[in-house]
Amino acid sequence: MNSELSEPDLALRVTEGHPEAESELCRRMAPRIHLYGLRHLRSSSAADDLVQQVLVTVLEALRAGRLREPGKVAHFVMGTCRMTVLDQRRGAHRQERLLAEFGADLVPPAPAAVSIDRDRLTRCVESLNERERSVVVLTFYDEQTSREAGTALGLSEANVRVIRHRALKQLHACMGGAE
Amino acid sequence: MSTPVRPRCDDPIDVTLLMDYWRAALDAGQEEAVETHLFSCDACGDRLREVIALAESLRDLAASGALRVVVGDHFVSHTAASGRRVREYLAAPGDSVQCTISADDDFLVAKLGADLAGAERVDLSISMPKVGEVQRMKDIPVSAETGRVVYSESVGFAKTAPSNSMVMRLLAVDAGGGERLLGEYTFHHTRTIPGPPGWEI
Repeated sequence: MNSELSEPDLALRVTEGHPEAESELCRRMAPRIHLYGLRHLRSSSAADDLVQQVLVTVLEALRAGRLREPGKVAHFVMGTCRMTVLDQRRGAHRQERLLAEFGADLVPPAPAAVSIDRDRLTRCVESLNERERSVVVLTFYDEQTSREAGTALGLSEANVRVIRHRALKQLHACMGGAE
Repeated sequence: MSTPVRPRCDDPIDVTLLMDYWRAALDAGQEEAVETHLFSCDACGDRLREVIALAESLRDLAASGALRVVVGDHFVSHTAASGRRVREYLAAPGDSVQCTISADDDFLVAKLGADLAGAERVDLSISMPKVGEVQRMKDIPVSAETGRVVYSESVGFAKTAPSNSMVMRLLAVDAGGGERLLGEYTFHHTRTIPGPPGWEI
């Protein structure tokens, strides 16, 4: 069963021409690429596009035997993500031909979005102390840096970081997050 | 679709580090280390999804104007510049201010002037004349240089409030619990939103 194989073994099987190994590798890598895309592109649809582009590039490389060390397949995927995002930012060619040929078949369903109980979150935020609540609001709504928030609130930059980390730990626990 | 069973992570990334990663607040080396881990650990990927959902929900909650919170001048100017409707009132110590809120206001802000120099701890006390103190915001963050406290009222509360008066007091609190009045501000709210208020005094 491919699902029991390690990722390096999967990569090796892809180089040997096993389509089911390609599917399994895509299934494992797609959510990781999607997260990378969310972080760097700030858009779920752009992250979806990134998944397609990266998987096409990775499979092309594996099929052609260009990955010399299958043990580094995860690192190779990460590097491909980085290069693809850089290319996008430069407005470079987006591999439309390859995507048209292979893309739609590669992308497994995206992981289900995490839902947040808004009422519970409100109660959790209200349970923070005043400094914590102010720092959280300035950080997440106003996107202020620690320095900017510190200036606005009469706190040092380091103190803002400490307060924000403490608040986030508390909020995460209050929302039932696992440590 | 069945939920995949994730191998347990023996060295999970701290949630605050994941949040800093999502906020693009890490240096290049830290970011590389986090991403290298994420590309081989789906358990931490799941935790990052939780963190992203939390961050986005916090932004939405703060953007809703529903929180009672001390902010700053940049928050007000940035919010207004982004197209949100901010109704703001300036008050000096001893002022009585006529105020209201309309249905399409997104934020309601009071800028309370005060000499904050030398205050170790500042509390913001909110009182209703017939009820007394209804809320005490202890140890609020203040920037003495600005000479004021910028307070964002809950628009949900304000929009459902009947016409009423509210007294805000800024108090310097010393280590022994002694209080010194820095400023008292009375807000006479006139309800202008049609329909019955959500509560009565």
